Amino acid sequence: MHGKFDGLGRFADPSVLILTSLADGPRHGYAIMADVAAFSGVRMEPGTLYGALSRLERRGWVRPLDTAGRRRPYEITAAGQEVLAEQVTTMQQIVQVARLRTAMAWGG
Amino acid sequence: MRPGPAGRLSRLLVGCHPRRWRERYGEEMLDVLDQHHPTGRTVVNLWGSAVTAHLDPAYRTDRLSPARLRRAALMSAAIAAPLALVLGPVGYGIWQDDHWHPAADEGLVSAAFSEHATILVTAFGQAIDGVDMVWDVADLSRPRRLSQFEGGQPTALSPDGRTVATVTFSGRTALWNVAGPRHPTQIATLPGSDFRHLNPPLRGQAFSPDGQILATAYYDQVFLWDVTTPARPRLLRTLDAPVTSSAGSSSQIPFSPQDLAFSAGGRVLASATGTDQVTVWNVSDPARAYRLATADSTGDFVQGFALSPRGDLLAVLGSNGTVLVYSLADPARPVRTATIRGLLTRARYPDGQSQPDEVLCGGCILASYAVAFTPDGHTLTVVVDRTEMSANSGRDTVFSWPVTGSGTLGAAVTTAARDVADSQPFIAPGDRTVLGGPGDSHAWHAWPLP
Repeated sequence: MHGKFDGLGRFADPSVLILTSLADGPRHGYAIMADVAAFSGVRMEPGTLYGALSRLERRGWVRPLDTAGRRRPYEITAAGQEVLAEQVTTMQQIVQVARLRTAMAWGG
Repeated sequence: MRPGPAGRLSRLLVGCHPRRWRERYGEEMLDVLDQHHPTGRTVVNLWGSAVTAHLDPAYRTDRLSPARLRRAALMSAAIAAPLALVLGPVGYGIWQDDHWHPAADEGLVSAAFSEHATILVTAFGQAIDGVDMVWDVADLSRPRRLSQFEGGQPTALSPDGRTVATVTFSGRTALWNVAGPRHPTQIATLPGSDFRHLNPPLRGQAFSPDGQILATAYYDQVFLWDVTTPARPRLLRTLDAPVTSSAGSSSQIPFSPQDLAFSAGGRVLASATGTDQVTVWNVSDPARAYRLATADSTGDFVQGFALSPRGDLLAVLGSNGTVLVYSLADPARPVRTATIRGLLTRARYPDGQSQPDEVLCGGCILASYAVAFTPDGHTLTVVVDRTEMSANSGRDTVFSWPVTGSGTLGAAVTTAARDVADSQPFIAPGDRTVLGGPGDSHAWHAWPLP
């Protein structure tokens, strides 16, 4: 399956996690890391986070907001929401196929 | 707070990013590092990030010609060789840091052992921002750190040492699989966003001795979950406690890691409810669990309690250093069998010369306590770690009393003091050991009880 995330190569996963984290409202860097860890168990390091944020920002999928002290919140853009929805649909298709095939293999 | 070697190296590496990158993200990354707990992994990650950013056309300021690249490679080699000699020992320090004494933070706040005390989970720091660490403590004198994750506290470990219950960023209970202790993964968040409004939030968690039930405690409610399959927790029962608080408002409750406990047989559950009560529940059939009785701590905030191994005695410890022992021979009608007052004063003034103007206030955190019965049930032990605000240090005092069959206490047989930095003490099950540690680090140590 191919989609808009292809260009992000190995950065695709952090990008999906970050977009998911921002889907319900703006968050600053550490809040994104904590949220991602809570909902996915993935411990993202600062280098990975800002590398992915930089790419997402250049693609126009997230936008930085005004800083609050040293913290700068980010919010997902309409384009980012669209891309995330596409990615979720793809993931759902994969999950559906995986469920079907494991159920067949295990006789469920 | 002074960062450890990994923290210092991480900050250095932020400065190694291209200038345009630093101007855009430098301050944010430093802010994240202030809240993060940098490890060797963070250092490697930031090194990779710096290299990638230098290769990124968007941040590269000058075009790199082949000749320039060759010169850069030679220069890098010339710098890298002596750096390797210097950084080798630093790297070793970071490795040790990760395996034993990670970066400084707030001290030990929660500790939970597996059934045979071979695996230990410790939590450091504040509530949801805390760091949890999994340790192999088969030999407690030579603990080995297996992993760490940001799960916060309170913390509970299943008897088989495979599942850890912590708290999520939104205040709900999270279950972590630590069966592969080097790679903890969050496997479930207990459903029930309705609980988020409860204030104060999650107060304690405990697994039943057979590991099939997880109890989660809030101010006036206890939830019993079937965690036979930890990835699919199922709510079995909600227990409501009648709360009458004379010790103060609920918002003043200091967190205590000893707010919830099953009896050894798993038939009785005791939980701190309100501010100054301990409620005893019959959980023989968790789906039909019910309240047996409520015991009080005479107006003090409950700081901890202990059930005797046979589940027939309950020792309740109040914040001002009062111990009340109740007989649960008839669990529905607890009978107070012993009252010991003034432990905090005795710990603060071991020579017996208390200050006449000393005011011990309800709700003030003047000390941390640990309380436990010995495995044979013949001795009750209380460890008082009194806080010395001015000296930023603490002093642990251990009190032990012989316990009679009827639940009365004999004279205190041991009063020992030990100078340690301030932290919450914990009494390890079975082997008469106390855990504690400096109040400003991820370190802990263990020492034998007298």
